[in-house]
Amino acid sequence: MDPKLIADLHKFYPEMVITGTLLLVVVADIALPVLRRSLTFALTVLGLAAAFALTLPLMAVQPGSMFYGMIALDPMAVFFKAFLVLASLLVVLAAPGSKEFSRSNLGEFYALLLGVTLGMMLLASSTDLLMFFLSLEMVSLGSYIMVGYLRNDRQSNEASLKYILFGAVSTGAMLYGITLLFGVTGTTKMVVIRHVLAGAAASGENSLILLVSTVLILAGLGFKIAAVPFHFWCPDVYTGAPTPVTAFLSVAPKAAGFAIFMRFFFTGLSQAGPQLTWSTFASINWMPIVMVLSIVTMTFGNIAALRQENMKRLMAYSSIAHAGYILMGVVVLTSEGLQAVLVYLVTYLFMNLGAFMIVIEIYNRTGSFELKDYRGFYRRSPFLSISMSIFLLSLMGIPPLAGFFGKFYVFAAAVNRDLAWFAVIGAINSVVAVYYYVRVMKTMMIDGSDDMSPVRVSWDSKALIWVMLIPTIGLMLFWDQVQKITSGSVGLFLGN
Amino acid sequence: MNANLVSQGIFYFFAALTLGSAAVVVFSRSLIYSIFGLLFTFFGVAALYVFLGADFLAATQMVIYVGGILVLLLFGVMLTHKLYDLDLKTETFQVIPALLLVAAVFGTLILAMTRTTWFSGAVRQPEPTTAEIGKLFMREYILPFEVASVFLLIALIGAAMIVRKGAE
Amino acid sequence: MIGLTHYLVISAALFSLGIMCVLTRKNAVSVLMGIELILNSANLNLVAFSKYTAGNLDGQLFAVFTIIVAAAEAAVALAIVLSMYRLLRSVNLDRADTLKG
Repeated sequence: MDPKLIADLHKFYPEMVITGTLLLVVVADIALPVLRRSLTFALTVLGLAAAFALTLPLMAVQPGSMFYGMIALDPMAVFFKAFLVLASLLVVLAAPGSKEFSRSNLGEFYALLLGVTLGMMLLASSTDLLMFFLSLEMVSLGSYIMVGYLRNDRQSNEASLKYILFGAVSTGAMLYGITLLFGVTGTTKMVVIRHVLAGAAASGENSLILLVSTVLILAGLGFKIAAVPFHFWCPDVYTGAPTPVTAFLSVAPKAAGFAIFMRFFFTGLSQAGPQLTWSTFASINWMPIVMVLSIVTMTFGNIAALRQENMKRLMAYSSIAHAGYILMGVVVLTSEGLQAVLVYLVTYLFMNLGAFMIVIEIYNRTGSFELKDYRGFYRRSPFLSISMSIFLLSLMGIPPLAGFFGKFYVFAAAVNRDLAWFAVIGAINSVVAVYYYVRVMKTMMIDGSDDMSPVRVSWDSKALIWVMLIPTIGLMLFWDQVQKITSGSVGLFLGN
Repeated sequence: MNANLVSQGIFYFFAALTLGSAAVVVFSRSLIYSIFGLLFTFFGVAALYVFLGADFLAATQMVIYVGGILVLLLFGVMLTHKLYDLDLKTETFQVIPALLLVAAVFGTLILAMTRTTWFSGAVRQPEPTTAEIGKLFMREYILPFEVASVFLLIALIGAAMIVRKGAE
Repeated sequence: MIGLTHYLVISAALFSLGIMCVLTRKNAVSVLMGIELILNSANLNLVAFSKYTAGNLDGQLFAVFTIIVAAAEAAVALAIVLSMYRLLRSVNLDRADTLKG
């Protein structure tokens, strides 16, 4: 057996643990019907925790490619592996607490979630077009099923139908674009693609086919991160899916989508320049295209959110807008921009999941996601209302909460690249967004309501919400660590 | 020279079969006609694979697409309509705007393709591919190969779970 | 002489027909058929490029994996459609309207 392969396997422990846990959960679900609920839950939590622990030592490993150039192991890949496993772990901890799942057997849910996590980890490290496509489909397919998990609920079913039909078309178009790129470069390895394009770059030939190919690939990537105009599935899917699934979708696959977005465009379609900046090729200048995508996404997301009365729908448009801000960090083509993306994603993980956890809790007590049923919640549960306000303030980007840092980094990266006008558009959008976030806060804290019954929050839900709150409030205290980790993750990402 | 003409003729026959059947899939009002159109499309594509020297792939196409996916689609159609209603007319959305858009897409693709200088590697001579594909699965493509098996596992679990009857 | 361009034209036509099918059909199973057309067109591209430009079997391997993905996707999609039929007694996409927008 090839010794390089064995060496690669030693660096593959997190993924192997996830796969092993997946298999154990499937077996446990069938074999032990009595203990099912707690056993599958425990197995999943332990497996994810173990995988997380195993990703940390990978930071010190020499960057290189694995499995014959299919995936890469560099600090950025390790960052995303840890991030994605953590996100999955938090969702698994929150899932049984939702009343939507009270009558469901969650064994298959955990299995699907583990499969999606494996797919996301591979997606974030992919350096080959085949691996990119395969892992993207793995993440998407698992997500389609998870959205439709409540078999007897009409909204859940409709959401999963819309999701799969839209998703399959987007990824099909993306595949077609990938084949065109394959034809032009003769290879599926992103590094080799860059070399071929660099060779032909001076002449600027083949620009039309490369443009077509890039637009088609953007269809698939845009679908995954819910950027306009590939976002149509997002509000319906977020609203119809069980809320823990919505929470998961809004952070994890989105982050994995950004990871491969960066990897594909930086490794395949750009070349590294001086001082950690990148430049695009003459034949395929994708920067303006993605810039337009970013602007349209954040603007549309914010404006559409203004009129929403359903919390899940509002959060869907909010997360579309946030995708627009994150894209800003990608467009500027500097390592500063990449670092900004990582910082933003970390802050986004905690504040978004936190907000969703509160939405779950409120649903558990009131059975509703409508804003009008959030009125006067301050009297009923000060804890939930104040926590929600903190998460919303962070989403708005108010200092000194975590969300501010994410936005600050992204805008600063744009300004430092002489794109101040771009940052200004982002800032204006943030101001517009304040309206709908404040509206929710006002509804909960100030509006009166007839129902004044106090709402008790169970201690485990409270603990989980605190886990989200602490980073949201206290991120500035750990600022040095976050800085170091994220800039270290970017430094060696010269596109393996 | 005669053999060349014959093989060109056969190629055009299969190309026409593929595209004609695809047109039936898209434009036919009866669902059953669409399904059978899809059958012939798959068959035509498999024939084109043979022309391209991809023998293993052609066999795989027939077995999985026709033998698996098409049968699945047929079951899907049969199970989602009342049995006696096999006439199954389907309505359509606004056809004209869609037609214009699709024509634009097709035009752009053709324009782009004709203007391109494709990568000039060697042209592969036709020879049996199965053994080579098998070796590649175990070497350069081992990771996607293993990942695909986990992928199929979750697809299996998920599909079975959604369709299963009974209370949650 | 049959060359690369012939195959590319066929695949572009298949792709366009697939998009047409997805855009204009109201029956969920019909949309699935359009998706299969799109995936087949991409596969045809891959195999054609594999022979004429790359000169090796990379494209064919990719095509095998695409077939795998297409099969899994079709299975899951049909499962969801069957589930819809059980709830609504119809697979007409017009009936999927409880989530406005």
